[in-house]
Amino acid sequence: MSAYLQVEGLNKSFGGLQALRDCSFTVAQGRITCLVGPNGAGKTTIFNAITGFLVPDTGHVTFQGISLDGRTSQQIVRHGIARTFQNLRLFVDLTARANVLAGMQDHVGEEPFTAIFRPFHTARALAAKQDAAMAVLAHVGLAAQADMLVRNLSYGEQKLLCIARILATGAELLLLDEPTSGLSGAALSDVMALLRRLQAEGKTLLVVEHNTRVVQQIADDVLFLHQGHLIAQGAPADIIADPKLAEIYFGGAI
Amino acid sequence: MLWLHLLVNGLVWGCALGMVAVSFSLVFATTKIFHVAHAAVYGLGGYLAWSALKHGMPEWAALLVGIVACAITGTLIQKLLYERLDRRGATHLVILIASLGLSAVMQNAVAAVYTSNVLQFGLPWAARTTAIGGVLLTTAQMLTVVAGILSYLGAMWFAHRTVLGKRMRAVASNPFLAEITRLQPRQVHIAVMAIASAMVAIPGVLVPLDLGLQPFGGVPILLTATIAMIAGGVGSISGAFLVAVGIAVLQNLSLLVIPGEWSIGITFGIFVIFMLFRPRGLFAG
Amino acid sequence: MDFFYTYIVLAEIYVLLGLSTNLLVGIVGIFSVSQAAVFGVGAYLTAFLVMQTSTPFLVAVLLSSILCIGLNILVTLPSLRVSGDYFVVTSFGIQLLATAVFTNWTGGTGGANGLPGVPAPWIAGHEFVEPSEFAVLATGGMALGCIAFWLIMRAPFGALLRAIREDELAVAALGKSVLRAKVSAAALAGAFAGSAGGLYASFLSFIDPSSFDLDASIFLLTMVVVGGARTLAGSVIGPFVLLALPQILALIDIPSSVAAAARQLIYGLLLIAFMLFRPQGLLGEKL
Repeated sequence: MSAYLQVEGLNKSFGGLQALRDCSFTVAQGRITCLVGPNGAGKTTIFNAITGFLVPDTGHVTFQGISLDGRTSQQIVRHGIARTFQNLRLFVDLTARANVLAGMQDHVGEEPFTAIFRPFHTARALAAKQDAAMAVLAHVGLAAQADMLVRNLSYGEQKLLCIARILATGAELLLLDEPTSGLSGAALSDVMALLRRLQAEGKTLLVVEHNTRVVQQIADDVLFLHQGHLIAQGAPADIIADPKLAEIYFGGAI
Repeated sequence: MLWLHLLVNGLVWGCALGMVAVSFSLVFATTKIFHVAHAAVYGLGGYLAWSALKHGMPEWAALLVGIVACAITGTLIQKLLYERLDRRGATHLVILIASLGLSAVMQNAVAAVYTSNVLQFGLPWAARTTAIGGVLLTTAQMLTVVAGILSYLGAMWFAHRTVLGKRMRAVASNPFLAEITRLQPRQVHIAVMAIASAMVAIPGVLVPLDLGLQPFGGVPILLTATIAMIAGGVGSISGAFLVAVGIAVLQNLSLLVIPGEWSIGITFGIFVIFMLFRPRGLFAG
Repeated sequence: MDFFYTYIVLAEIYVLLGLSTNLLVGIVGIFSVSQAAVFGVGAYLTAFLVMQTSTPFLVAVLLSSILCIGLNILVTLPSLRVSGDYFVVTSFGIQLLATAVFTNWTGGTGGANGLPGVPAPWIAGHEFVEPSEFAVLATGGMALGCIAFWLIMRAPFGALLRAIREDELAVAALGKSVLRAKVSAAALAGAFAGSAGGLYASFLSFIDPSSFDLDASIFLLTMVVVGGARTLAGSVIGPFVLLALPQILALIDIPSSVAAAARQLIYGLLLIAFMLFRPQGLLGEKL
């Protein structure tokens, strides 16, 4: 039986820099897997390779037994994988609700022909999507902010909205790039609670995470990446307790 | 010997075009602004020199007035327009539209003051011809070649040997780093605009000595020069200059088979070919 | 009164062009100085069809729109592939090339002398000759254009275009095709410009390259900038304001030899002033 998500032998170099070196791992369905490693370890590059934003030099990605090699980012979203960005990339001049609507698939009237020649059909379909978008916002706790411009939301609210926006795509596997970075206190626990809730609802999460406390609390599995290569994999307690890994992780800092 | 004549004409015209391309490239690489109004600065120099001449200035001084006035104009454009827009966080598109507007203002102001008719300098010495290898060259043409080569060498020396030139290249390669390391990009931008505007005024005053002045001649010239810059590789002074000469020669030789009114087609065709096969240019790093 | 109706008809035709330019510049966010070229192709094709093949007016306008859809996609396509600044070159190049064709292809366009004698439209046995009659037709055309623009802007397609303008990469990450959306917008802009061209040729009955040159493209850009980017109201008000301007200039005593330059100079000043002080135009959103 093949794994839910399987990454095999990815290599990618940018000029002289080897960003990924024979990187292989698997992600199990219904679990929260944390991707950790020092800066420049290749975590975001992995996300880019899985979601079709860059083509690896060699290697394969398989999702639910289907090869994703050579697929575009649009096709990959259709297969049920969606990602957030470290720098959010929300549409800041649109409302929170419009951001979620932008994530939803199969809009009627998302091309000019239907929009112009079947206006009533388009309007009815949009009204139904509006309700669905409100439901997604309520699910992440942003119902009250639905009609606010994103640039006026707090950072914590923006982080939640990033997750809402990819939930709206209907994806089953969510790739979250540092969902808790820059957060503390209530905002941090809101995001962590949301991640657990999503897992309980059957989503699979692959999370880039720097905060070891967060990793310890939410992760089922931990993948440790160093210089573009997977060097350890296991339960959070084992990985964090490993002095060799701690040395690499905190390396020059201490 | 028509082809030889066209070849030489192409080389001469290429030197003029090369100065436009190199100066535009300096601005574009440093400020990242697609300075459309450069076309109008090119046109302005000749007209101001013409006016200075008609007011009784000595010829050499009149040409110098044109060049210096353009340098000042460039400085003002940078300080009063581009820098302000930048301070207000204007997007690239907004700056581009403003530059286009400025170009329209300058060219039409010239047309309103001097009319759209062709004006001649009427300097006997400039039109005097000398035979070189069987081809007749006017003094203005020979001056253009000398000025073109000197400008090219000057730009190379400036960019690689002077402190300001090194600061310019640093700002071009990383504006953010330049900001925090106190290279003062704003000052560098102004200096580069002044130098580039002076350089574009050189062909701006020399070419009309031969061909006369026209208020709207700058746009197709700038278009050809930007094509040379892109095909040569953005940031490469040699690339811009050499490709400009190459395009000018091709334009002239194409007259053997294609009527002159279609030369824009030739130029644009060269651009399309580069975009298809070598989008980063010949001399890109 | 004819004078007043002529102003109305021309402004209404330019509203269609404003919608076209607004779609490209305001909404998709690409700098274009070649919209007048597409407008010109629509005008020349309609003129050719009704004069040489006696195609009915509405069919000729429809065919012109279809050609301009294709043409505008072709013209805009490079902007989707090459970076913004390279497209400036492409756009200038296409405009200058189009002017060269309009001016020098004497067999097809009448060259610099222009193409006289384009017949007034015949629709259902009625001929629209007088400006007051043509105003009905132009109002109809403008209304259709405005309704179409309004419908797409409130549909998910409009939302998608806004999102693309903010962050293309994020849109792609949400499973949407950025390329398809942009090509659709370009096609729509082509349809607007093409039908505007057909109306223009039939109304004036005479066309020449000066209506479709670089200055004309700059004028179209000024309309959008003054009216305001990305809104229907902005696209409508821009042409009405800017076409009133030459009438106001006529009140001031400017010698006719510099009138054209003065007009173009004012358009340039408006571009600079609005970019500096009011990038959202009169009734639009910030560019």
